[in-house]
Amino acid sequence: MSYYDVDAILTDSQKLPCTFELDVPGLGYLEGNVGGMVKAGTKIDLPMWLGIMLAVSTGNAPDSSQLVTLDFPTPLQQRVINALKADPRTVDLRAQAPHFYALGARIMELFDDTAVLDTLINTFKMRAAEIADQAHNPRGALGDGAEFLRGLDETERQLFKAAHEGPKAVRAWTQDLKKIT
Amino acid sequence: MAFSNPPGLLPTEVAFLCEMEQVTIVPRQRLERLDLLGGTTRPLIPPQRTNLPLWLAILLKRQRRANIVPPPWLYVESLEEILELETKHFQTSFSLPPAPSSVARQTDFTGKSFYASTPFVESCTASAVPNALPYHWFEMSEMLLDAASDDISDPDRVRQLLRDVREVRLAKMRKEVELLSGDGEGTRLDGVGAMELAESRGFLTGVIDGLRKIDASREQARRDREDEERENRRYNDEDDDDEEDNEMT
Repeated sequence: MSYYDVDAILTDSQKLPCTFELDVPGLGYLEGNVGGMVKAGTKIDLPMWLGIMLAVSTGNAPDSSQLVTLDFPTPLQQRVINALKADPRTVDLRAQAPHFYALGARIMELFDDTAVLDTLINTFKMRAAEIADQAHNPRGALGDGAEFLRGLDETERQLFKAAHEGPKAVRAWTQDLKKIT
Repeated sequence: MAFSNPPGLLPTEVAFLCEMEQVTIVPRQRLERLDLLGGTTRPLIPPQRTNLPLWLAILLKRQRRANIVPPPWLYVESLEEILELETKHFQTSFSLPPAPSSVARQTDFTGKSFYASTPFVESCTASAVPNALPYHWFEMSEMLLDAASDDISDPDRVRQLLRDVREVRLAKMRKEVELLSGDGEGTRLDGVGAMELAESRGFLTGVIDGLRKIDASREQARRDREDEERENRRYNDEDDDDEEDNEMT
């Protein structure tokens, strides 16, 4: 992940539900209460970069608890995972999160959940095969594939482009061959 | 600034490399030997067959100074056989490339033996194997069908069979995706042609990359574990070394 990678920056700015474990004075503006104090137990959606920083840092005392605890973000909650298990092709990933897989990978670094990770990998594979089909089908982007293609996340869009460019370049070469003669 | 082309060869580059392949021609005019960068050609005396690089063969063909003898796999019967191999015998993998011949086994300057590969083996001359597709089959057949279709028997049927073979192999390439995984295990692409690779490279590497990124956390965990094991082993080894040292002193 590069420092200047726009996709990485956008991934890190996605919201993550955090629960504060301590009273924090002066942070009230996070929940629209300027100058106030965040009480222990409040749930706030924080950007991922901030949430992760707070979750891994502890207080000054050696035995003090975490500042916040993290929860699975909406795109990775059980409802979505179940839908992906049932049929990966019908889920609109883009509506869940534009950088769905990148988000998933980041969250998996924090939570060790093999079941979800396996589902994600399986989803990616199944959808990649579907993407290859759509990219080879010249009417795919217009016909019934349009619905599926609109639901692609950012990684999958790159994949679709790659799958489309390859055969296109080969076709261009064969046509050039006929033109030269 | 980074080079803007995607990694790997473009179809045009693949075709350029293919033009170095040797093909068999039957000259219709005499021609003295030519000093080419890749070596001199033999003098052309009709009607003796000679092997020439594809680009020169096509040039002579266009000037009507030679006829090209299509490689044995570019006949209707051979292609039908290949198509059957491809659909019946190799349902999950690609049909095998031509087996390396004894001619291809050579030794380098240190005496170590190796197998020569295209374009240093003759896979498209009249002496090639009829029932296997060489590395450059797609480009070669396209260029021959374009420049020398009158030398090929039943070019329309050949064209149709080639298209069938291509479709079957494309479908197999797509199925490979389901076998990929993020843990560094690859898939076998034996017998895949140069142009097919150029076509699917972007997509396949994209899938592997995506899988690797999603699986990054597990990979990290595995790497940590391996590091730890290595550290432990080294620690134990050092212990052993110390003991040996003590014994020696």
